[in-house]
Amino acid sequence: MSIFDRRPRLRWTVPAAAGALVVAGALVGTVGVSADAGLPARTPQELLVALQTAEPTPLSGTVEATTDLGLPELPGMGGPHAATGPTSLISGSNTLRVWSDGPERGRVAMIGSSDEYDIVRNGDDVWTWSSADRAADHYVLPAADHAAGLDEAAAGMTLPSTPQEAADLVLASLDESTDVATSGVGSVAGRPVYELILTPRQADTRVARVAIAVDAETSVPLRVQVFSTQMADPAVEIGFTSVDFSQPDAALFEFAPPPGATVTEHSSADMAKDSAAAEGSGPGADAKPTVVGTGWSQVVIIALPADAMAGLANGEQDDTAAQAMALLQSLPETSGPWGSGRVVDGTLGSVILTDDGRVAIGAVGPETLGAALAAQ
Amino acid sequence: MSASDQAARVTLDRPSVVGASFRLLRSELRLIVGRRRNQAGLLVLAAVPILVAVAIKFSAPRDGGGGASFLAQAASNGIFVALGALTIEIALFLPLAVAVLSGDAIAGEANLGTLRYLLTVPVHRTRLLVIKYASLVVGALIGVTVVAATGLVIGGLLFGLGPVTLLSGDQIPLVNGLARLGLAVLYLTAGLAALAAIGLLVSVLTEQPIAAMIAVTIVSTAMWILDSIPQLSWLHPWLLVHYWPAFADVFREPMFLEQIGRGLLVALAYVVVFGGLAWARFGQKDVTS
Repeated sequence: MSIFDRRPRLRWTVPAAAGALVVAGALVGTVGVSADAGLPARTPQELLVALQTAEPTPLSGTVEATTDLGLPELPGMGGPHAATGPTSLISGSNTLRVWSDGPERGRVAMIGSSDEYDIVRNGDDVWTWSSADRAADHYVLPAADHAAGLDEAAAGMTLPSTPQEAADLVLASLDESTDVATSGVGSVAGRPVYELILTPRQADTRVARVAIAVDAETSVPLRVQVFSTQMADPAVEIGFTSVDFSQPDAALFEFAPPPGATVTEHSSADMAKDSAAAEGSGPGADAKPTVVGTGWSQVVIIALPADAMAGLANGEQDDTAAQAMALLQSLPETSGPWGSGRVVDGTLGSVILTDDGRVAIGAVGPETLGAALAAQ
Repeated sequence: MSASDQAARVTLDRPSVVGASFRLLRSELRLIVGRRRNQAGLLVLAAVPILVAVAIKFSAPRDGGGGASFLAQAASNGIFVALGALTIEIALFLPLAVAVLSGDAIAGEANLGTLRYLLTVPVHRTRLLVIKYASLVVGALIGVTVVAATGLVIGGLLFGLGPVTLLSGDQIPLVNGLARLGLAVLYLTAGLAALAAIGLLVSVLTEQPIAAMIAVTIVSTAMWILDSIPQLSWLHPWLLVHYWPAFADVFREPMFLEQIGRGLLVALAYVVVFGGLAWARFGQKDVTS
């Protein structure tokens, strides 16, 4: 006779205790271990130096990227059955697996529910692989200029996909318009980190602050959060959920397209030609962008070539142009002393496309864009 | 009774108790497999991969091909029919099968008036409940295996089998691919086993098997609906079904076990809590029918 047979009501304590244990375990898991008090204090300047001089560390880990830019839904993008690819990063939550072994060997895999998009770099070779399209693209970087070539190859990557890339992007734009502080220590992916807080000094920007969590031991950025003035949750958050600093398997960086895949070769000469063509047809050739303001409240104004707008308006174009036009028509209208146009009002910035073919873009609200347009 | 006497008794009793439990489990499984409605259910489970594979075979190939689902890859390798069928059936048919089995487990016996006779067998109620639960888990394993195996056979017949291209673009020998399919089957069985724990609780609470089946179906369907609402993302990690589609992660190189690990933890939590509730209720229940 066990006690549960003599007093059957006591049996309820077992599932109750199990439930309490589950909830407690989950809370400990999400909140994480409290910040390690044993870490020596570091000034923001020390952290900045550590970030910029950190040796590239071999690592592998899982990254969670959440983006809420407040952009309108684009036709043909997102949805449960869309193929996973670089554009998936523009909205919603994405899981990425990251492996890195020095600056020249790395792999990023974007995890879809039943597909995957990979970018593999091994020295001069860069492969991209989309399992949904069964398509592999091979880029050979010009030997002289690795970094620039990689940018070219990853031109499709409109958003940074690792905390390191995001941190580089932010650090590159640091100047006297930014207040740099540290909020002490915390914990990301189970590791103690220092938090670096960058706060814009200008009031009219939509970026409230940027928080970078720097690993205490290796100085690798483990999480970047960009907060908007429009909402409490971070508008962009890229951070490791787990990370391991041991040497990844070298085979991970050697990609061979599987039989049956569509393989497209892009030589470095092609890539140079492509980028030249893009510059020629782009707005850059005849209209230099105008920059109004400084620092975070900078507004960039680009005048579109007249025929681009006319072509769109005529509607005698392919599907893509028709879709773009439909998207444009769906945007809210706005007007001011500068004229009238359409506006995209995002969480971290906004864009105004005027009816006379100017595009103003900045990490500011539409009012500031309007003022900049009027001043031009 | 001295301590050594007691130890001797325990060692004497154990083989007979274990043997009795096994006999009970075997007769329980024979009951499950022997029921006409369960056999018909298995046929339905097996029909889905066949239907899907035939439809893909005889539909005109779309240009460009591809798509983010396993079925889009089916034409290249039959093993993807099995994976695609699992993706389809885990949403409704497999949970439905578990619901039917768990409705029969306790509530069905109570409804037929056989539960009280079952309790006269010299087996402790706790052990009886564990055996009932074990039979549900085996039933779930049979269901998932039938789906995967039928998909594999029909996919192999229509599209052929060969080295498997993983989602990450690596190619592995067919044998390894089959082993990974086996892992996916086991993972989904673990998920369904957690649903069966909920089913066991409902089955203990009611004497109407239909009520229990409907309740379990509603629970699993409601979880899928909640899981598809992005505004409720804070709730998703708590939902049993949230990590089920992660079975696809064994088809990445190297295998991505983070989501699967979390899915197993959530399943374990459901088993412990709901199994515990069922045990607490069943232990003090007055069985009158």
